[in-house]
Amino acid sequence: AGPERPQVVSHVQQALSYTVFDCKWVPRSARLLCLGSAARGTGLVQLYELHGARLELLREIEKPKPIKCGTFGATSLQQRYLATGDFDGNLNIWNLEAPEIPVYSVKGHKEIINSIDGVGGLGIGEGAPEIVTGSRDGTVKVWDPRQNDTPVANMEPVQGESKRDCWTVAFGNAYNQEERIVCAGYDNGDIKLFDLKTMSLRWETNIKNGVCSVEFDRKDINMNKLVATSLEGKFHVFDMRTQHPTKGFASVSEKAQKSTIWQVRHLPQNRDIFMTSGGSGSLHLWKYEYPAQRSKKDSEGSEMGVAGSVSLLQNVTLSTQPISSLDWSPDKKGLCVCGAFDQTVRVLIVTKLNKI
Amino acid sequence: MPVWLREHSWRQTLAAVYLSLPLRGARATPANIFCSEQYLKVSVPPFLFEAILYAPIDDANSTAKIGNGNIFFTLYKKEPAMWDSLTLANAGKEKLQYLRENAVLKAQEKAKEETEAKKITKQEHKKYALEATMRLEEAERKRIEHLKEQERQKIAKELEFWKNQQKDADKYKSIQKKGELPQEIEPLKERKNEKMNKTRIPNEETSKIRLKSTKGHGSRSIFSQNLKEEQLPAPRAAATIKVNFTPRVFPTALRESCIAEEEEWLHKQAEARRIINSDLSELEDLKEEEKNPDWLKDKGNKMFVMGNYLGAVNAYNLAVRLNGKLPLLYLNRAACHLQLRNLHKAIEDSSKALELLTPPVPDNEDARVKAHVRRGTAFCQLELYTEGLQDYEAALKIDPKNKNIEKDAEKIRHLIQETMQSS
Repeated sequence: AGPERPQVVSHVQQALSYTVFDCKWVPRSARLLCLGSAARGTGLVQLYELHGARLELLREIEKPKPIKCGTFGATSLQQRYLATGDFDGNLNIWNLEAPEIPVYSVKGHKEIINSIDGVGGLGIGEGAPEIVTGSRDGTVKVWDPRQNDTPVANMEPVQGESKRDCWTVAFGNAYNQEERIVCAGYDNGDIKLFDLKTMSLRWETNIKNGVCSVEFDRKDINMNKLVATSLEGKFHVFDMRTQHPTKGFASVSEKAQKSTIWQVRHLPQNRDIFMTSGGSGSLHLWKYEYPAQRSKKDSEGSEMGVAGSVSLLQNVTLSTQPISSLDWSPDKKGLCVCGAFDQTVRVLIVTKLNKI
Repeated sequence: MPVWLREHSWRQTLAAVYLSLPLRGARATPANIFCSEQYLKVSVPPFLFEAILYAPIDDANSTAKIGNGNIFFTLYKKEPAMWDSLTLANAGKEKLQYLRENAVLKAQEKAKEETEAKKITKQEHKKYALEATMRLEEAERKRIEHLKEQERQKIAKELEFWKNQQKDADKYKSIQKKGELPQEIEPLKERKNEKMNKTRIPNEETSKIRLKSTKGHGSRSIFSQNLKEEQLPAPRAAATIKVNFTPRVFPTALRESCIAEEEEWLHKQAEARRIINSDLSELEDLKEEEKNPDWLKDKGNKMFVMGNYLGAVNAYNLAVRLNGKLPLLYLNRAACHLQLRNLHKAIEDSSKALELLTPPVPDNEDARVKAHVRRGTAFCQLELYTEGLQDYEAALKIDPKNKNIEKDAEKIRHLIQETMQSS
């Protein structure tokens, strides 16, 4: 461990009295949200503010159903409404200043919403604000907060096909007003890429292990890289710039730890650095290096991508339980929050990221 | 018989005796010399020199120099006095013997004491070395902690500063909202001024301005934010994309490490279903449906539910003859035998079912739990409580949340304890 390597410093630890499933920074502030499920089966949203070496609870909101995931991705910077998915399949958008009645509400799915993502808000990306939800009922639905009750896109199994759990969803490729891509990962190892402009399946693959988390390195650019993490401690980095007609996208994979990799999150300030969180309570910080040539021609003359390499910058074990959620602060480089199943939320600072 | 050396010569002072002993060509080493307080012996086979000294000497400090075919002893007297002669003249044979033994004993004791002393000093040295290393390591650790603390404090300070900036930015924004200017020219200009005035550029302003510049669009007017809101496209036209999944039989998630086992299980099941033992002569009497093991299994299940255990056993027997590889047939037949109190047969069938339920995958968990519980029950009814407990514990391992199994396992443990106490 040379002195120049980034260090992961644990800044604040806060014990919670409920299971935390997701934690998110409130954009443009030093406040964070913890979403989870209380012991009596209700959902909890807690708003904390960072005060020196501790977190101060500003507000606690209780809802009838446990909340699994949330995002600020589709809301504007002034409004900062939180979109949540709960255990019952409801998608709600809340104004945290007046949380009694949701701004938008729909029973989007028949089963728990496992994952949610938003695009078009926060001054990032272009086009309509949209929210995508992936559920255990096997469907992936895209919602527009201006349209009630029906999704603007619905990716559902073919008639008669048995459903697979959708575990994770992510937006990408939103570089102009028309383009949008949704990536979904399922428990049978399928990764599917849906193009919302043409409303079609653009690409699919199977990575042989249930897919826990997918994320594009940036939502608002021409899709560059996609990281997919899975069970059995593996993750894959796909180079999304070049799609080969039969071979799809080039990828490099890494087996980081023995247990499930629950989340991957890219650093908002540097899209080649990302952190993975594991079932053994550890966090790994990775850097992707591009190859000399990102694409080459194959024997028939079609372009195919060349995957680069991934190197481990730092790793640290914080807990004995899985760290199930992770979020970088979009405003302060290196500040991140993680929530683990030991009912603790931790605020961490990763140092020396400027030197990479 | 050793050859006695008698040509020694000696002289003395008040404090010391100098003894010179010529060796007749023999070589001597320190091992050949034995000296104690009052006894001196040099044994270089075949030569032997022995002397019971007149008075005790200090054998620790006395020296012997070997060289030039000669041993030169320098013996320091314990008491400074002139000796009449080197040796005790009137030493009888017994006295000699006694003195010899005594000398040897004394020498041994001394040797023992010396080793003891050496051990103690060695231990003390080790302890000292350990403490010194511990101190060094402690110092190192403190240094690293100190560095880490400094780093942490620096970060905490930076964080506080950034947080205060955010607060200010928020306040500014809320003031602006209240003002709600239709055009954003004024506040932007002000902000630009502030940017130049402040030494440290607040995040919000620069990021906002930076965001605008990274859009890379032609129209970068100050109204861009307002325009953007008006330019939001209408909600997409609703559409559905149909999805096919990579086929997977099991409802559980796919794990690479379990693929081999799952394949084996599926293969076995497929095999089992295909085997039909077709060379039974009685087959001709049976109707078409009675040749189907699954149909027979269903029949057996129905009869079990109605309480017709013998009938159920018959159905299962026929099914087993047709297809001996379906684990569920043995499992259900075991349940029937339990009801009929054919305990040995119940054990046999449960065991056969367990054999067929390998490899263990989540898919056949239920079946395996049932098999263990049934076999356990049979063992207990035969009063083989330890075997029964083993099976209950195996069932608990597969399904730890089942309260009934736990209760039964507890009961069996009590029974075992009672029988042990009473026997």
